Amino acid sequence: MKRFPTAVRGSTGMPAFRGGVAFCVLLVAACAGNGAGLDSNGRPLVPGGTQPPPLAANFESIQANIFTPICTVCHAGGSAPVGLRLDAAASYNLLVGVPSTEVPALLRVKPGDPSNSYLIQKLEGHAAVGAQMPYGCPNTQPCLTASTIAFIRQWITDGAPPAVAVAAAGVAAAGLNGSMAVTAIVPGSMESLSAPPPQIMIAFNHELDVSQLATHTVHLERVVAGTMPAGIERVPARLSVSSANLRALMIWPSYPLSAGHYRVVLDAGSSADFSDVAGRTIALGTAGENGETVISTFDVEVTQ
Amino acid sequence: MSQRFTLAALTLIALLRAAPAAAEPYLAVLEGYKCNVCHVNPTGGGLRNGFGTTYAKVLLPAETLGNSLDAWSGKLADRLRVGGDLRADWARVTAPHSSSQQAFALEQFRVYADLIVIPDRLGIYVDEQVAPNGSQNAEAYVRYGNTTDGFYVKGGQFYLPFGWRLQDQTAFVREVTGINMTTPDKGVEVGYEHAAWSAGLDLTNGAANAASGSGYQVTTQLVYTKPVWRVGIAGSSTKSNAGDRRVGGLFAGLKTGPIAWLAEGDIVHDDSLGRTLAAGLVEGDWRILQGHNLKLTAEYSDPDRSVHNNQQTRYSFVYEYTPLPFLQLRAGYRHNFGIPQNNQQNQQLVLFELHGYF
Repeated sequence: MKRFPTAVRGSTGMPAFRGGVAFCVLLVAACAGNGAGLDSNGRPLVPGGTQPPPLAANFESIQANIFTPICTVCHAGGSAPVGLRLDAAASYNLLVGVPSTEVPALLRVKPGDPSNSYLIQKLEGHAAVGAQMPYGCPNTQPCLTASTIAFIRQWITDGAPPAVAVAAAGVAAAGLNGSMAVTAIVPGSMESLSAPPPQIMIAFNHELDVSQLATHTVHLERVVAGTMPAGIERVPARLSVSSANLRALMIWPSYPLSAGHYRVVLDAGSSADFSDVAGRTIALGTAGENGETVISTFDVEVTQ
Repeated sequence: MSQRFTLAALTLIALLRAAPAAAEPYLAVLEGYKCNVCHVNPTGGGLRNGFGTTYAKVLLPAETLGNSLDAWSGKLADRLRVGGDLRADWARVTAPHSSSQQAFALEQFRVYADLIVIPDRLGIYVDEQVAPNGSQNAEAYVRYGNTTDGFYVKGGQFYLPFGWRLQDQTAFVREVTGINMTTPDKGVEVGYEHAAWSAGLDLTNGAANAASGSGYQVTTQLVYTKPVWRVGIAGSSTKSNAGDRRVGGLFAGLKTGPIAWLAEGDIVHDDSLGRTLAAGLVEGDWRILQGHNLKLTAEYSDPDRSVHNNQQTRYSFVYEYTPLPFLQLRAGYRHNFGIPQNNQQNQQLVLFELHGYF
């Protein structure tokens, strides 16, 4: 065993000692949060809210117990690897029926076929490309157990339906064989949010013909309380449809939503705007007095 | 010597927490080198150049093998240099309220190649992860210019320069920024190397825009390197359909005797998440003897600056033993601390790793 030459070893132990003291001070100073007032995902508890449901073979539970606490460490926001965001607002529509980036021949989630769903292959560690997920497993964090993955498999086997609350919000979805339909809206209808959603997502069962979309097709409204009848303010927002997933329409508010009651509204006569390249148009539900159709409502309870 | 071991033992006992964050930048800090002294890539990581290979043969291991490795310089031919890294682990992860998981795993086997088309001017670089699972390209780019003194341009797919290029891609500073060696990006980089200065400006697609065909990411970094210290500043801005994202970071290195200190602090604002995040790292690498390195790492993460009581910390202790050229054994322990209601944030890890490289 060789010692370092003097020039490499450095001078005396005092600078190293002082540096070590500073290092230890930093170690002691950094403290983890005590979790008070937070749910298990580190988000503020909503008054009257509940902890995430126990893991079950449905999307709501899988999102709350797996995607949000584990996957969104990386797969979230403007740096999500391969553009795959797994936060609650985006995950369903970026997973189900969407070709994977690494192996485009495989869908990330192929309803009814878990073994040929790229999500399962990545979680089980036998995907054709890249590392097993969650990244670092089993070296730096646990892999999902077989029993946990079994819930995801079962959800896919069942057809990979959206969350129950979200599915219920799809007022235009029922009984529409072959026509365009809303399959999910995030945030879900009647949902109460502890923080303003950065975007609202409307998912369809077919890819949209974006050439038919107009800026007035769908909009976001805030219901102003304290007036009779309640006042309505239209929230400035832009619409977008990602070329990566033509089945999802995103509404991006121009500023963070303040606390209040909101609704997502389809304009009168927008039926033709929501069509696919085959010309199938959406069948809207019952329209309101001015011809508009409210397809979802939600509340923002800003706690910060 | 006994004082050093005593200090090491006391530190270990005091922590009773630490684990494997494997950063190689500590070698650069200890030696006062810039990244391009040992690596083909001027921003560090990947294929070692001739000096880097010699360093790995002679200065890094506890025992050199005399003249038996003289023939190996990393060059297969005048214009072709190759290298590789293979890491195999046994790890045991324990989280509260759940049974432990343990497994042998092949973490990665990467091979690198650099084809020198025109000496000191034009080259083609490839970094391919060949295992586990199928082959996956990490980097592939054309490089034009002088990477040791002057301007250069890279075009293709490559890792973005941002902060310390740590080997541990799960370090908070790498996870929170989203700029790490798991997410190469496609675009161009203009770099400048002169004396103590290193600078880079990258225009790329952005990871979140991988499949959208829209948006872009601009990343820049400036580093000033002196023999016993260095400081760097980095910034990145991403435009994407998912929402815009801005990242800023400061990092520094300091050598005190046989110890290299690395520090980094980053702050991120992500419009799509509606959050501001922060992360920090302090690492001390004590080269006790040639071939023996004790690595202590403390990390901090705040996943949402507007929410109280949600911070996470992580402490790592790793012993790295390099008995022979191109062979390293690593043993480490890590303890994560997070909110008590989240088991993932409070897990512990024990790791043994075999690292072969050439």
